[in-house]
Amino acid sequence: MAVQFILCFNKQGVVRLVRWFDVHSSDPQRSQDAIAQIYRLISSRDHKHQSNFVEFSDSTKLIYRRYAGLYFVMGVDLLDDEPIYLCHIHLFVEVLDAFFGNVCELDIVFNFYKVYMIMDEMFIGGEIQEISKDMLLERLSILDRLD
Amino acid sequence: MDRKKTLINSSVSNNNSTIKGLQLFIADLRSAQQAQEQEKRIQSEIVKIKQHFDAAKKKQGNHDRLGGYQRKKYVAKLAYIYITSNTTKLNEILFGLEQTVELLKSSIFSEKFIGYMTLELLYERSEVVAKVNDEVNYQLMKDLSSSDDNFVMLALNFVGVVGELTNRLAYNDDITTGVFKILRSPTSSIYLKKKSALSFLALLKSNHSILTEDLQRKQLWIQRILSLLDDTENYRLTLATIPLIDFIAKYIDPSYCTRLLPQLTEILYNCVVVGTSRSSDNQFPLEYTFANMPNPWLITKVVSLLSILIASPTERDSGSLLQTNNIDNELLNKLRKCVSVAIELGTRQAQDPMERIVQNTVLFSLINFASKLDPSDEAISNSVTALCSLLTSKEINIRYLTLDSLVKLCSSSGKPAIDAVRYKNLDMIFHLLNTERDSSIVRKVVDLLYTFTDVENVKIIVDGLLQYILSPKNLAEPQIKSDIAVKIAILTEKYATDINWFVIISLQLLSLTSNTTINDDEIWQRLCQIVVNNPSLHRITCERLVDYLCKKQASEAIIKAAAFLLGEYSSLITDRISSANLFTLFAEKYFSAPNVAKAMILTTMIKLYKTSPEIGSNVIKFFQLELNSLDIELQTRSFEYLNIIQLAKVNGNTDILQILFEPMPPFNSKSNPLLKRLGSLPASAGSTTLINTPSEASSSTPDLLSKRANSSRSIMVPMPPPSRRNTIDDANSKISSSEDFSGKDSYYSRQILAPNWREGFTRMISHKQGVLFTSSLMKVFYRITTPDAQQPYVFHISLAFINLTEWEITGLSTQIIPSKTQGNPEYLILNINTPSTATIGPHKRAEQSYEVSIRKPFDVEDSPILAIHFKCGGSTNTINLKTAIGMTTTLISSDVNPSMHLNLAQFISRWKTLSDALGKEGEYQKSGIKLNKDFRKVETISLEDGLLLLTQTVKRLGFDIVDQTSVRSTLFVSGIIHTKSEGNFGCLMKIQYQVNGSVNVTCKTTTAGPLAKYIVECIKNVLTK
Repeated sequence: MAVQFILCFNKQGVVRLVRWFDVHSSDPQRSQDAIAQIYRLISSRDHKHQSNFVEFSDSTKLIYRRYAGLYFVMGVDLLDDEPIYLCHIHLFVEVLDAFFGNVCELDIVFNFYKVYMIMDEMFIGGEIQEISKDMLLERLSILDRLD
Repeated sequence: MDRKKTLINSSVSNNNSTIKGLQLFIADLRSAQQAQEQEKRIQSEIVKIKQHFDAAKKKQGNHDRLGGYQRKKYVAKLAYIYITSNTTKLNEILFGLEQTVELLKSSIFSEKFIGYMTLELLYERSEVVAKVNDEVNYQLMKDLSSSDDNFVMLALNFVGVVGELTNRLAYNDDITTGVFKILRSPTSSIYLKKKSALSFLALLKSNHSILTEDLQRKQLWIQRILSLLDDTENYRLTLATIPLIDFIAKYIDPSYCTRLLPQLTEILYNCVVVGTSRSSDNQFPLEYTFANMPNPWLITKVVSLLSILIASPTERDSGSLLQTNNIDNELLNKLRKCVSVAIELGTRQAQDPMERIVQNTVLFSLINFASKLDPSDEAISNSVTALCSLLTSKEINIRYLTLDSLVKLCSSSGKPAIDAVRYKNLDMIFHLLNTERDSSIVRKVVDLLYTFTDVENVKIIVDGLLQYILSPKNLAEPQIKSDIAVKIAILTEKYATDINWFVIISLQLLSLTSNTTINDDEIWQRLCQIVVNNPSLHRITCERLVDYLCKKQASEAIIKAAAFLLGEYSSLITDRISSANLFTLFAEKYFSAPNVAKAMILTTMIKLYKTSPEIGSNVIKFFQLELNSLDIELQTRSFEYLNIIQLAKVNGNTDILQILFEPMPPFNSKSNPLLKRLGSLPASAGSTTLINTPSEASSSTPDLLSKRANSSRSIMVPMPPPSRRNTIDDANSKISSSEDFSGKDSYYSRQILAPNWREGFTRMISHKQGVLFTSSLMKVFYRITTPDAQQPYVFHISLAFINLTEWEITGLSTQIIPSKTQGNPEYLILNINTPSTATIGPHKRAEQSYEVSIRKPFDVEDSPILAIHFKCGGSTNTINLKTAIGMTTTLISSDVNPSMHLNLAQFISRWKTLSDALGKEGEYQKSGIKLNKDFRKVETISLEDGLLLLTQTVKRLGFDIVDQTSVRSTLFVSGIIHTKSEGNFGCLMKIQYQVNGSVNVTCKTTTAGPLAKYIVECIKNVLTK
């Protein structure tokens, strides 16, 4: 019941956010390859006729969703139930949307460090820690204003 | 999200949080069209930053020339370079590490934040950790104990994010205790507690020994963590705490957590049932709902934890878990109610997409959990029907999840689920098989079909699957086709009853393999094993193989199977085809076959020669030709076979051939190798249908085939598939293997009892009711009754907990811990009712009851432990008490049953009989038992008084005393001990009172073994308390 990693990349495969929660590999090349494979796998899928879930390796399946030009992907254990992670992703995007006010890819590019702040407020240790949008936005606006 | 915004207004947030230089740099990179241009821009930026950092270093000692803002800006740029290069440019930015760590030391939040954020990214690289770990840990400790909550928050985030990337934090005791301190402190805000719970989880995942190394710490810390759930008003902390408890239950020790059942049930019930009820008195906090639906996060987390704590029907003997038959009925019904409400909600129409996601989350989470609740057949069939109605959903995710859930349900709930699916929905499922375009869904469909195949429907299902592989419109990945082929092979082997059909299908499967890229040696090899082991298949398979060989395109698998089987059994079909023709057939195939097949054909040829020497000249010519083969293996084989034939000719007989190519003996591979390739099917899926037909489970299929075909020969072959164990199973076996040598659960022996526990314990041996425990906070009463006089070995134990304080006691929960739960335990705890209330007002009481059933004799010191947990006035308390159930508790006093009364002559004669029969076996002596302090100044008590007290004590226990006056100082005592599994035992005792105030006891029982000792120990406890 824990997220192994969170990834966000655009349609061209440029990574916008990356967060590993567990030791995926001691070899950095492997994690870069993994990102590239995940991009290839997901971008090749037909979102009309294929589900938002796909097995990736013998320890990981991917739960993903595309919002305009950006893919949000979470890697989870094969035994985990899928739908709650769609909730995770959707809530994350809703919070981004509310924080930036109609968020777009550029917001994430230029304010990547703020997006990480939002991510840290929502997910640590691979688990979701707060699900109240109001609570999150209140806290984030305080942090954002701190010197 | 589109790119409608311009750069200028892209940053909506407050100005003082933007970093202008960074924004410009990013904008520059974006405007660079060519990758080369971008690369140049990055490199020049790196050079610039390097210069600034170097300059700052030279000026060390003076005041900080670089300035916090500049440092923050440059480090943020480096972080951006790292991300945007898809993490490839680590080495080029490593020079900035030192300045990044410098940022951590800043007292300005935004600078500290950029420092931590960058390190969170870079900590996935071990070289980074190695360089800065010590310095970072030092700063981390400072921030964890900072008085500024925001700094503490940053430190906790960092621990939570990198805690699993490196184990350096988890093995640093200062950090683990630092994080735990925040979690337990009553003054920490909920916000920090939440974060610390999850940070602690990250640490624990890297290093279990944080909790397992020190027993005392383990108990104390786990209780602290569990008490975070006591705050029922605030779900937010609950949400962050449950994953931590989940992990503890799964990997550390589930026994601490089982007492949470009532609390967890309450949360679930509130979310699912109360939270969704439309009645006006729905007073539940808004937080229990989300998007007009029950809060999916709370639900999935609670369900996940409950699934760990409740044993599934197939893991009945895993000791530390809850068994459904032991769960309070009221709780069980509440949980079941949750499932049915979730099904109702899940099949409701919802418009909002988020609402639909949530709906599914709740539905599938609870349906998958339902099988643990010992559901009725009807309930299972209802769930299945509800699920099947979702198979037609327009949403692809729902169809996927429905299938996934059906596979799980069929594997875990067996026949009722399987029947409900297959009798009503088979057409639907086949329709999905042929229309779905998502290979993962097709895979689930195939898994589902596989799960409910049995003797009855094997033909339909195999046929459907075969059609799928054959159909050209199904352009699915070859991997799937190959998986399906494997499943077909397993199913036909397992369930075929018709030999002809079995052979037709199997060969059809093999013949496919040239068209698709299925390349499965295991399938034809398995078929050959089955055929060899079942004589009834020999002829018919060979005939069909010849048919296939005659076709132009024979697949490689067919050629291999034919080479092997026809070589063995060609003599059976000489009426159909002569050896000479068979030889020609193989010779034709030979040249187009791959080398492995060629080698096999060479062997077939010499076998043909063995049965029909008249084809010798052709065979010899062929081998001679192949002496020139480029392949060393073929060359060698030809050479050897040629020599063998020559040797036979020289000898004038084929003896050597007969010996070298003896008929193939039956195979004895124990299991079907194909079963390893079932892929993602749940653990029990392979054997589900076997459970329904146990006779099949015990025998193996090829064997079965021959029996059904009335073959007189019975053949051994593969055993039923070893069912795969799932991860939970493994975790439990790890835990249960930690029993100590006496077979006692280590969890039992590790309990630290309350200091004055023995007083109540002793009272419980001698009295059926009384005070078990008293402290300044709480008093506990007990009462032992025997609900059924016919079962004197079953006891009903009622407890009452009295709050002695002026405050409320909250979060009351208890655990009854038996000494043994596995390996044929001496007694069982049954029908545990949870405390009547979790909150006890001042001077009010809570009640609870449970039953103990004694199966065989045991030591009273191994009696169940009662663990009481509660909160009172801000303190968390745990009281562990031993609740005595002794062998003497099973005595029935002679007042109730006068027929048991013995006179002296009977006593002596029985004593003698026992001595003759058992000798010293079954006897136990204890001398010098000092009477307890209640008999003050024992030396001064007269013999009469002493004997009177002894008599009273022994009688109270339920023993019968022989009326006699001939031996004044001794009591002759008898009684019957009752147990459930081992029956009743007689017991005779001589209790002799010494003038010095001590007592000697000799006890004989009608059984060898330690029973006599157990009885004397009970008496000793009472006399010396």
